[in-house]
Amino acid sequence: MSKSTRGFGFGRKSGTVTVIEQKVSRSSARNARIAFIITAIIVGLLAMSVASDQMHPILAGLLAAPIAFVAGALLWMLFRIWPVLRILWWWTPEIGAGLALVYGWITLANTTPAPVTFAIMAILAGVPAAVPAIRRRITALAWCFIVRHRLRVCFSQFIIANKSGSLPLILWARPTPVGERVWVYLRPGLSLSRLQKRLDEIAVTCHASSVLVELASDSKKAAYLRFDIKRREVLTAKVNSPLLSVIDTTNIPTASTAPTDVPTALDLPDVPAESPLVTATKSATNGNGKKPTKAAPVANTFDDDPWD
Amino acid sequence: MPATARDPLGTSRVPVAPGLSMFDPMFIGIDEFGEHVMLDVVYRNLLIAGEPGGGKSGLINLAASTAALADNTRMVLLDAKFVELGPYRDIADAFIGNDIEAAISVLKRLLTVATNRYQWILSQRRRKVSRDDNLSVILTIIDELAMFSTVLGTKAQQEEFEGLLRGLVSLGRACGMPVVAATQRTSWDIIPASLRDLFGYRCAFRCTTHGSSDVILGQGWADLGYSATDIDPDNRGAAWLLAEGGIPRRIKAAYLTDEQIYNIADYAAWMRRPSGITVPAPSTTSQWEMAA
Repeated sequence: MSKSTRGFGFGRKSGTVTVIEQKVSRSSARNARIAFIITAIIVGLLAMSVASDQMHPILAGLLAAPIAFVAGALLWMLFRIWPVLRILWWWTPEIGAGLALVYGWITLANTTPAPVTFAIMAILAGVPAAVPAIRRRITALAWCFIVRHRLRVCFSQFIIANKSGSLPLILWARPTPVGERVWVYLRPGLSLSRLQKRLDEIAVTCHASSVLVELASDSKKAAYLRFDIKRREVLTAKVNSPLLSVIDTTNIPTASTAPTDVPTALDLPDVPAESPLVTATKSATNGNGKKPTKAAPVANTFDDDPWD
Repeated sequence: MPATARDPLGTSRVPVAPGLSMFDPMFIGIDEFGEHVMLDVVYRNLLIAGEPGGGKSGLINLAASTAALADNTRMVLLDAKFVELGPYRDIADAFIGNDIEAAISVLKRLLTVATNRYQWILSQRRRKVSRDDNLSVILTIIDELAMFSTVLGTKAQQEEFEGLLRGLVSLGRACGMPVVAATQRTSWDIIPASLRDLFGYRCAFRCTTHGSSDVILGQGWADLGYSATDIDPDNRGAAWLLAEGGIPRRIKAAYLTDEQIYNIADYAAWMRRPSGITVPAPSTTSQWEMAA
């Protein structure tokens, strides 16, 4: 029992998530090492050449070595903590909103008496909740933040771009009437066609009904894409024409629409059998002129009988 | 969740005004993201097809209404059913009902106009008309194309009509004479590929078979998943729109009620009358000749 549990736990640990994290960590360590070496060499050479202007080259070399080491170490540290900084950057809006909420609440509670505090809170929370337009706007904006995180989950969990596990740059998002639209700049290893094959999986991850991806229209760059996340259907809505807003319906006289001759043969018996559709122009005047007088009584009696 | 209450359209952003021009993109509805769909009809042509009750007439009327309100725009209307384009007959240069001889005659005149326009454009050392030319746009709208190409007239007349129409569609696009054509029946005998491919915009309302959807959009689109058979029959006005060189996209055409159509037609007639663009000034030459 305990064995199987351990085995299960172990299996989960060695799943996709862990592998990517190891990858990211390994790539970060490698990048940090390279950054350290390159920075140290460049800064060391620069420092040495500047210092050798004032002193003996050997002394200058001795002086340059610690400067190069410190500069390299700074860069190394930056590269090592970059994954953490990145996560902080990703969650900046949420962290900011959380801090604003907590500190705002504390400040408000400290500076105002309790009834005022509650009144202000009721207005702040109640108005957006009560006014549908504001509520929808806030919900749509919240989904924009959520969907950027969900897209990142897609790229980190199952759309693996490259060996180092670098993620695409998820740029801004904005609400659309059907959901959200997110712009993404791909990193090496991904392409539009590869993403198009996995749209259903992305839709599931984003809690959406469907997802479309295409090149961002204002750019011809293959890496610059636009994700359309659909949550609602607008094609069932009734669309009005804007033309109606430019016309004036009150004081407009009716156009002279009275047709020249309105046919009176409005039932089949009114039309003679030999009148073909094509030669209507010639025979219609004759047929229409004569027939209604003959056929009208027939039509009337026929109509009256079954219903009276 | 029904989207009806939300009104996805901010119609105020659509550029329409009494100074509307056919050279402006024409608003026809929204796409599946709620964005406006604008068609550049002057330099392309529009083919509309789909089974009855799909919403074709809504789109046809939208095109006619836009043209009616547009500045410096003339209309030639062919409508075998009379009622679709009938509201605009007072402001059209020609309104043809079910008379194929008249249809052929007006198409011949249009082709002559097109040829003359090209010679004028040639004299201006250019290749197509532009908004600044002050040349009127002549929009030809044909409803029930199948009536003219398969039902009315003799076989020879139908073939002549088809030939003339093909000429107009291929000639008209650079000289400000676009064509909007609609048909219920979608089969190869009514819309042969050689005619269809001349239309820059193709709009497929609901069809019953993949084949008829392909007749409008183009061979092979149904296999790729772009088929007008998957449109919900209850959702009138939903269609696939194919613009030249793109992939088909879902749209919902805007809808005008009969009353709104007549209101627009009346307004357009009232607006156009003083300018004399559709009602020619009474010709006095014949009277002078008679007097002389």
